[in-house]
Amino acid sequence: MEGIVRFFENSGFANATPGHLLMILVGLIFIYLAIRHEYKPLFLVPIGFGILIGNTPFIEHAGLHLGIYEEGSLMNYLYMGVLKGIFPPLIFLGIGAMTDFSPLISNPKLMLLGAAAQLGIFLTYIGAISLGFTNPESASIGIIGGADGPTAIFLSSKLAPHLIGSIALAAYSYMALLPIIQTPIMRLLTSKQERRIKMKPPRSVSKLEKILFPIIAVLFTGFIAPGSLPLLGMLFLGNLLKESMVTKRLADTAKNAMIDIVTIVLGVTIGASTQATTFLTRESVYIFVLGATAFMISTAGGILFAKIMNLFLSPENRINPLIGAAGVSAVPDSAIVVQVEGLKADPDNHLIMHAMAPNVAGVIGSAVAAGIMMNFLL
Amino acid sequence: MTTDVLMLPIDLSAIGKEHWTLAVIGYSVVFLALILLFLFFSILPKFLTRNLRKKFQKEGSQEMAALAGTLVPGEVSAAIATAISLYLEELHDEETAILTIKKVGKSYSPWNSKIYNVINFNRFQR
Repeated sequence: MEGIVRFFENSGFANATPGHLLMILVGLIFIYLAIRHEYKPLFLVPIGFGILIGNTPFIEHAGLHLGIYEEGSLMNYLYMGVLKGIFPPLIFLGIGAMTDFSPLISNPKLMLLGAAAQLGIFLTYIGAISLGFTNPESASIGIIGGADGPTAIFLSSKLAPHLIGSIALAAYSYMALLPIIQTPIMRLLTSKQERRIKMKPPRSVSKLEKILFPIIAVLFTGFIAPGSLPLLGMLFLGNLLKESMVTKRLADTAKNAMIDIVTIVLGVTIGASTQATTFLTRESVYIFVLGATAFMISTAGGILFAKIMNLFLSPENRINPLIGAAGVSAVPDSAIVVQVEGLKADPDNHLIMHAMAPNVAGVIGSAVAAGIMMNFLL
Repeated sequence: MTTDVLMLPIDLSAIGKEHWTLAVIGYSVVFLALILLFLFFSILPKFLTRNLRKKFQKEGSQEMAALAGTLVPGEVSAAIATAISLYLEELHDEETAILTIKKVGKSYSPWNSKIYNVINFNRFQR
């Protein structure tokens, strides 16, 4: 009888709290959104399942080595890749190997939209300070506005490791909900006439320009913000592997097998790190509120800057302000949102190629912003 | 000064000069990095075109030199790419209506060879 009692005490039924059940529900919603609506499935399935793993109740610190925060457990070892900032640069290597920078090279002025859309990062940083977060915590929360999961995880692993779970969850949730967040702002800030603006087709880009881009970009950004080197170094290395055409095997591995492995491990561990006992706090709620605000400000920043640029451009070179919204670096989701919204205004106006330029510039911009935050606060 | 806005304990006095400094400098540096890239990649095509033009002029092809660096519209690029692809893959719009029936022949393999089968085994013994 005593054995049965002990068995029950060790089981999840005896240790479950309302918090655990709530988090399990969140995990199930993530999995549902990913499978049913295909919202960021590559991230939401591992993260959602990780939440289930991390929130299955058990007796913590009883020598079972099960929890992600218990030294010696499998999850704890895998989580080291997140805490030490190893996984995000590896993901960037894969992203670099699959990114085509030619829309950006063919129309370099669109890079400025990628910079403008980082407004959310810095205003949210100020907002987080006003809510009582410390300087490094606020910077980590602000970076959610970059709409770049790996960058957010990387910066919070350096500045506020205790907030990684909440920050990553907020970043990926809002990236999945990008159409819902961005569309009303795009409509609010642009007139129908502006949404109909047709842009000049991008010029063709030579192979030499494509090869020079990662080399020049890593040097420029590295010299200006050395803190961004782990991310941008790997991003541009991946891109050089792709564009040089002589390292096809390495580029293939980086953009397929490697990024897939890292995504699985990163997603599961991030999900598991949201253990109810450490995750369900008032701070997490604030982070979610601030994250949504950051996304909205960044979207508005990009659109408004495009409108300002139009004041100085000749009529034939005018920019469709919708593409400013793609300056947040959720690649290619925000460019797709722009394309869909552009087609609603004019069924013949395909904006996706133009929107990809600020989109990839946003990746560079948010990584530079993370680097600057690190330089200032570490 | 603490005000509760939407249940959030916002304390504006917590925002100091150093926070605004970081935000302004940070945002400016992001712009600086991308402005530098913008300038470099705005100038680079002009530089490359000039070199190409000089090369053609040296070779004596004035026509090519005049064309160097002119923008090729996307539609033209797409048409050229499609033509090359069709040529390389030997695709054509009009079928010749001649059906080629390939002769099916079994390739030789010792595993299906009659001379190695079990019935013939004794013959090899002799």
